[in-house]
Amino acid sequence: MRAEAEEDRETTPRRRRFAFLVALVLLAGALSWGRSRDAPKVESPIRQIFPQAEIIKVREDVHAVYDEEGGLLGWAGTGRGRGYGGPLTLLVGIDTLGKVAGVEVLENRETPIFWRMVRAPEYFRAIRGESFDSLSWEYADVAGVTGATLSAQAIVQGVQTSVIKVAATAFDTRIPVPPRPFEFGLLEIVVLVLFAMGILGLRLRGPLRRRARWASQVGSLVVLGFWKDSPVTLAKISAFLSGYLPDPRVQMAMYFLVAGFVLTSFLYGRNLYCLYACPFGAAQRIVGVIGGSGLKVSPRWARLLGGVRDVVVFAALFIAFLSARPVLASYEPFAALFSLRGTTLQWLLLFVVLVASLAVRTPWCSFFCPMRSVEVALQDLRNWMKGKGSGGPPGKLVAGRRPSAVEVVAAVSALVVMGLIVGILAQGALYAP
Amino acid sequence: MQIFTSGMFWFVEGILFMVVILGTRAWVRDRGLAVSAWTWALFVLWLGFAGFTLAFVGTSLGEGEPTAATRGGLLFGMIAIVSGVGIWRLFGAGEQRDRERVGSVESGS
Repeated sequence: MRAEAEEDRETTPRRRRFAFLVALVLLAGALSWGRSRDAPKVESPIRQIFPQAEIIKVREDVHAVYDEEGGLLGWAGTGRGRGYGGPLTLLVGIDTLGKVAGVEVLENRETPIFWRMVRAPEYFRAIRGESFDSLSWEYADVAGVTGATLSAQAIVQGVQTSVIKVAATAFDTRIPVPPRPFEFGLLEIVVLVLFAMGILGLRLRGPLRRRARWASQVGSLVVLGFWKDSPVTLAKISAFLSGYLPDPRVQMAMYFLVAGFVLTSFLYGRNLYCLYACPFGAAQRIVGVIGGSGLKVSPRWARLLGGVRDVVVFAALFIAFLSARPVLASYEPFAALFSLRGTTLQWLLLFVVLVASLAVRTPWCSFFCPMRSVEVALQDLRNWMKGKGSGGPPGKLVAGRRPSAVEVVAAVSALVVMGLIVGILAQGALYAP
Repeated sequence: MQIFTSGMFWFVEGILFMVVILGTRAWVRDRGLAVSAWTWALFVLWLGFAGFTLAFVGTSLGEGEPTAATRGGLLFGMIAIVSGVGIWRLFGAGEQRDRERVGSVESGS
């Protein structure tokens, strides 16, 4: 019996490591396939902008457009902006008088629900007929009163880079662009303070540590949650892994958050983002205090759920890499809570998770959050580098005992949550623009 | 769905409101709980919010807006459930205080 247990202890980390490596290879394959796909075709969008276009001389970034008699109609330039989910590629047509003839979206990786919020069609209509040298670069024109600032900035940036290229190539004009300063504001300061409190918390004991954690979590809930809606999501991690890095001048806080997440997992073996800076974790903790959250989930169910979560996270990343759209990996219900925006499935997921938080302590963090899988993978890597065993829970069930009624209810609820998560991923993959 | 946009719906909701208040009052009296005034105030506020949630879902359905009914119902329902559990525990805290008081009186005598 003891020999069997000993053998289990040795083989389980080995199996985990093997599964992890296979997953890594598959993800790398999906990523390279997704990234190697052809650049978007420009002929059809150019004909949308210039309906009389017959001959299009496609060059690298600026394409000359002619009618059937060879008369020059104008130029079309492609430009990129950095949005929430990666680069956004636009095509801007400029006629021979130097006026904007139209704008078409070539590549869009933004979250569909946020993309629908920006006033892109209105902006494109508004700048049509404007001379290229009189365009203003105010993203507020696109964003309106919505919360999709990054998408709005990407649209303006895309139009701007296209126009600059056309102006330089076709009109021999250099459009001055004011340098964009690094935005270092309250959000960045708060993120740094939260991690500092986390590091301090590691050195504190007892009630002092609890108070530090509560203070940082409440601060995170208010600032990172309800005010800025900037929690770390799997979409962000996926964007970083895909090489679609956000603009550090605009999203410095996201760099701090991701770097803090990875570095503290490596340096301290504990991920301080989840403990001190995650606003959704804070929301669950507060609901848990209201409800008492005394229900304990047995380790075997926790292990099973952890295993299922790892598979879901793998599937989410695989879809995102394969389609080169990092936002498709996101299944978290954060936006529904913090900006009151989400699909019905995300709302349902939020409802189930927060109501479950009344009875079970931080159920999302413990069993469903993709960041937990990333954290376990990082800890495994850290332990492997240090020559230790697996850091995560072994993916093995102890069989033989009949589950209690509470466990059955918990299992059914978990099944519902997993079903909702799969539904959200499928919906994202099927209905993405 | 016609009922949700008619006066009947508000009549039923008013009856429900009164039944819950009177029922809770009777339950508190039967158990001999000492419920403070501010807990009652919170309870009445909560009841108003729960009634609003029902009304929101009902009137949205009545106006042919199932998406608003679903999302609003989930959001407000979630807030109502979480705050309801909190208030329930406040009532329970009163019960615990009473038990402790009885215990201390018995041990004193």
